[in-house]
This record gives sequence, C-alpha cells and structure tokens, in this order.
Amino acid sequence: MREEVRQIRELLEQQAYVTDAAVATSLYLAMALGKPLLIEGPAGVGKTEIAKVLAFALDTQLIRLQCYEGLDATTALYEWNYPRQMLQIKLQESTPGDAAEKEASIFSEAFLLKRPLLQAITDPNRSPVLLIDEVDRSDEEFEAFLLEVLSEFQVTIPEIGSIAAAHRPHVVLTSNRSRELSDALRRRCLYLWIDYPSFDKELQIVRTKVPGISEPLSSELTRVIQASRSLSLSKVPGVAETLDWAASLVALNAAHLDREVVSETMGCFLKDEADLRKFETEAVARLDEMMSPGS
Amino acid sequence: MNVPSSESRLTNTVLFCRALRERGVAATPAEAVDAARTLNLIDLDDRQETFLSLRSVLTSRVEDFENFAELFEEFWCGLGHRAEQRKNVAGESRLTRRREVRPSSREFSEKGLPFFLDNWRAAPNDSKEINIPAASDIESSADKDFSLFGADELEEIARLARRIVRKLASKPSRRWKPVRRGSRVDLRRSFRTSLRTGGELVQLSFKQRKPKKTRLVVLCDVSGSMDLYTRLLLQFVHALQNSLARVETFVFSTSLERITGRLKNKDYERALESLGETRGWSGGTLIGPSLAAFDSGWPNLVDRRTIVIILSDGWDTGEPEELAASLARLKRRAGKLIWLNPLLASPEYRPLTRGMQAALPHLDLFAPLHNLQSLRALERHLVL
Repeated sequence: MREEVRQIRELLEQQAYVTDAAVATSLYLAMALGKPLLIEGPAGVGKTEIAKVLAFALDTQLIRLQCYEGLDATTALYEWNYPRQMLQIKLQESTPGDAAEKEASIFSEAFLLKRPLLQAITDPNRSPVLLIDEVDRSDEEFEAFLLEVLSEFQVTIPEIGSIAAAHRPHVVLTSNRSRELSDALRRRCLYLWIDYPSFDKELQIVRTKVPGISEPLSSELTRVIQASRSLSLSKVPGVAETLDWAASLVALNAAHLDREVVSETMGCFLKDEADLRKFETEAVARLDEMMSPGS
Repeated sequence: MNVPSSESRLTNTVLFCRALRERGVAATPAEAVDAARTLNLIDLDDRQETFLSLRSVLTSRVEDFENFAELFEEFWCGLGHRAEQRKNVAGESRLTRRREVRPSSREFSEKGLPFFLDNWRAAPNDSKEINIPAASDIESSADKDFSLFGADELEEIARLARRIVRKLASKPSRRWKPVRRGSRVDLRRSFRTSLRTGGELVQLSFKQRKPKKTRLVVLCDVSGSMDLYTRLLLQFVHALQNSLARVETFVFSTSLERITGRLKNKDYERALESLGETRGWSGGTLIGPSLAAFDSGWPNLVDRRTIVIILSDGWDTGEPEELAASLARLKRRAGKLIWLNPLLASPEYRPLTRGMQAALPHLDLFAPLHNLQSLRALERHLVL
C-alpha cells in the first residue's frame, strides 16, 4: 500500500470516520490527479460526511453548495450587491468625479457577493474542499455550467474580468442517483460507490460514534438494522438512522433489545408509516431470530 | 508487477481500456491517460490498491463494476500476478462473483496478454443472448384492418389528447426568463438599465417563470394480445403526436419501431394505412428486449423532463429479469414512468403475470386504459 493512502486512512480515522481502502484510495487519487471525486450510493451512507471529514483532516475550509432544481449561476457563482450599489450611487451623486470611474468603483470586488463556487476558487490561503452536494437534484443547465467551472477552475465576470483559482479546490460531488448524470460530468470525475456498510463496519461505526453504548446492545441493534435492509422497505435506513437509534437507546438506558423497546423506538430508523407497519408485522415478531449472529 | 518499463505499462493500459470499451464500459482516451498517470502514483505490488485505483479512474457508474472486476482479473492475472490470481479482491466478492466460469478464462490467465488479446473477442458474450421461448413468438405479418371506430368517439379521444398536451406545455419551470411586462421585478436587469440614467430607476425590468418543456415518449404494445385495444390507443397517440412537438412514439411486439414520423401531420386513416405496412404486428411480445432496444437505440430521448408511457397488457414472453432491468434503467433517467394496462379495468384481473410482477416496483403509476373515462383520469397524472 502506498504510504499516502495509509496516511489518508489514518487521518480519516482520527476524525472518527470509519473508512475502507476504496474510500482512501479514491481520495488519494483525487488529490494526486487533481480531479473531482464523484461519490454515489444510497441515501444515508455517509457520502457528504467524507467531504466534511476531509476538510477537517486537511485543516482547510469546507465550502458547500447544496444543489436543487432551478439552481443557477447567480446563486452558485456570484451576484452583485444591488442595494449597496444603489446606495453608493446616491452617495456619489453630490461628489464630483468621472462617470466611468464611478461605475468602476461600484463594480469592484467590494460589491460582489461571492457564492460557493466563486468562494472556492478565490481562497487566498490554501485549497479548500468544495462539496457539491446532491448534484443529481440540479438540472441539466446547471450541470453544463458546472462542467465548465470544473474543467477550468476559472470564471469570467464581465465587469471585472477572469478570475483563476489561486489554489485549486478539492472537489467532492455527491449524488443519490435520483436522476442519471451526464456522461460528460461522469468522465471528468473519479468515481466512488459507497454501499450500505457490512455488519462489521457498521458495528465499528456505532461503537466509534456512540461511545457510551454497551457491546451487546451495539451488536444487537446493528444486526436488526442490517436485517431490516433486506425487508424491501420504501425508505431503507441509512447509517445516520442507525446512529440516531443507538443514541436514543443509550439515552433510554436500554441494556438489551426486546420487542417492547424496539416497538417503542423504531421510529428512529423507520421514517415512513407503511414501513413502520411492515416492520411491526414482519420483523418485531421474529426479533430474536434477527438478532442472532447467524441470521 | 512484472511490467517494468513505463512504456509497456502505457501500452497495456491502452489495451485494457480498449477491452473495457468492447465490454460496454465507456473508457475514453482521456481516462486512459489518467489511468496511465495513476499507475505512477500507486503501489503496483498491492493488487487491491491497483484494482481500486483503476476502477475509480476508469468506471463512472456502479453498474460497470462487475464488468470491470471480471476484465481486471483476466487481464492483470495474465500480466504476471499468477501467484495471487485466485485470491479474491477483498471486499468486492459480491461484485466480482461470476455467474459461471468461462472455460477459457484459465487459458487467458496462463498464456497472458497476447493470448487474451487474440481470443477475448471470441469469448461468448452471455449478456447479449436473448432467451426466446417458443410459445407465441412467431412474428405474424398478417394484414390487419384498423378502421372500425365511430367518428364521434374518435373525436372525443382526440379532444382529450389535446387537453392533456395543453396542460403539459403550460407548467411553469423553476427557471426565469426576462419579459416586457410581469409581476416579478428582475433586480439584476433593472439595476443594469438604471445605470444609463445615472442610477435612477426609470424603467423596471420584469421576469417570469420559463414554461417547462415536458417531453412525452409513448411505447405502445401492438402484439396479438393487445389487438382489441391497439386501435383506440393509437388514436390517442396519434392525437398527442399532432398537438405537441415533443412527443415520440414507438410501437413494439417482438421488436421495436419508431413511428413518430409516420404519425405526424397525417389524418388518422392515412396514418393507420402507413402503419399497416409495419411488420410483426399482432405477434408475441418481448417487452424487456424492446425496452432495452429503446434504451440503447435512443439514449438521448429520455431525461428528467420526459414522461415515459408504456401501453401494454404485460403478457410478456421474455424474461422478467430483463424487463425489470430495462425498466429500472428507464426509471433512473425519466421524470416519470407510467404503465397503462387495458386489462387492469377488469375486476378479476390481478397483475400476476411474471412480467407485470417484475415491472411493478419500478413504476410511478400503474393505471387502466380501456375507455374514455380512464383517459380522463390519466390527465392529472401527466404532469412533472
């Protein structure tokens, strides 16, 4: 194993992020090749977390751009501060001076509202981590625009000119696959798929993130969660739900899982009325079977 | 790794990328260059690291993982990782699991790259084989008479279709466009124009929502079991086609055919006449392969602003798994996936055919379509 990969893995684990070779290798390559990293996987497996932990580990700023339908360049890149510009014009009215000069002054950086993408390429000190979250929620127009920014790391503001990145940001994109991303965007990125964790990995996550939890309880609840993922629920519980449930059980001082405790607390990891009913009828009755190591 | 020079490494990378492409994993030349750069950045003696790195660079969707893992095994084993070749790549056992071991794969790994390159083209590509049961799969080209519907009913169908289309075309999107007069002030443009008058806001600029451009893709089953309904449905599709530019129409039975052009700008009778020439009507149904053909043949027709409508009774003689896979692929790209089934109206009908069972989890809407009333009910579902 390459020394850098090992280091990245250690850095992530120092931040209490339970990781594996695939994540560490992809992050190393993304940084070494200077390419964006596209992370896909079901909801709640810790895709966004990777960017946060990376920023923390590199001791750099995390800049987050949450995508949604209709997101456009003015919200993602920059906007002029119109009220301030208006005010400035009024103030300048009485002062003598050249009109061109006045115009230049109100279209200077002082009146520029930097949105996440511009922030990410104008960081004066070091490469920040740019998280473009849930890029599948944006529309095709925005994806095309993003492609342009990500290939050049340079933007042009007509009134000011081109701004090139002093320090290229580490870019992480996440997608829940609610729609298919374009091939052009996919090819520009390294690819990482994160699935629901295995039993061992999830148990480790629970024990790392919920320190007060007892060993038997943590393995019981992890088994139940793992088994519930094969019940074809409409909202499959992610790792975040596992942790919520674990924290609730610890707060309730539960030492073991039994039917009553599960029935009372299953709202922590089942977020859908139909799922709750399904789990109640199909799973709670055979809870012991679910919790046994062989299942 | 027993490949010392970076030159031969580059050659191998390029060959590997080519082999990936032949398997349908789109690895571009740019990615090949990145892969070659990657090999200088990683520990090549660590097989898992090599595997994970190349996979990260050369694939771009999880569906490619299985193909990649298989090819990686064949390829890099032949290049000298013989000692390790039977060891499974840790953590990837589910994805690398093979359906069957090809008889020649041992030869591939023993004789190495040259043998592999000479022979891998000849390797059987099991994914392309389509299992065709014998039952009702005979393509019949029998001439069918389509014209039996009363003129008043035809007009009603056409009227409904036009109403649906109007509704589709008028939904606002979330993006803005500048307009001369409106209720929302466009601050950005107002301010820019005010500069001409020295910062005095003399004239306001307005903006309004752009209309949503929704596209409709209709896939109509014209196999034998659909005979009773085909004409009514085609009438509907014909009316849709001629009231909105963004409608694409396909018919399928054992194969798929695009009929958009034939339906356009013709009256219904003449459109039917030209459709009568289509081969294979009223034969058996292979929905899965037809959808797969649509998916691979017209990949750019479906995006998130597309509503895909499948008109079929679900009597599929193909493999349900293939149908499910095709629908899952369509569902990922489409804004909405709707299946309209004429049989659903009958109270005795339960969607129990294997095809229908496989299809249900992937659908946004599963509804009847057998009379004018069900057409009216459809109207409110055709929005994104």
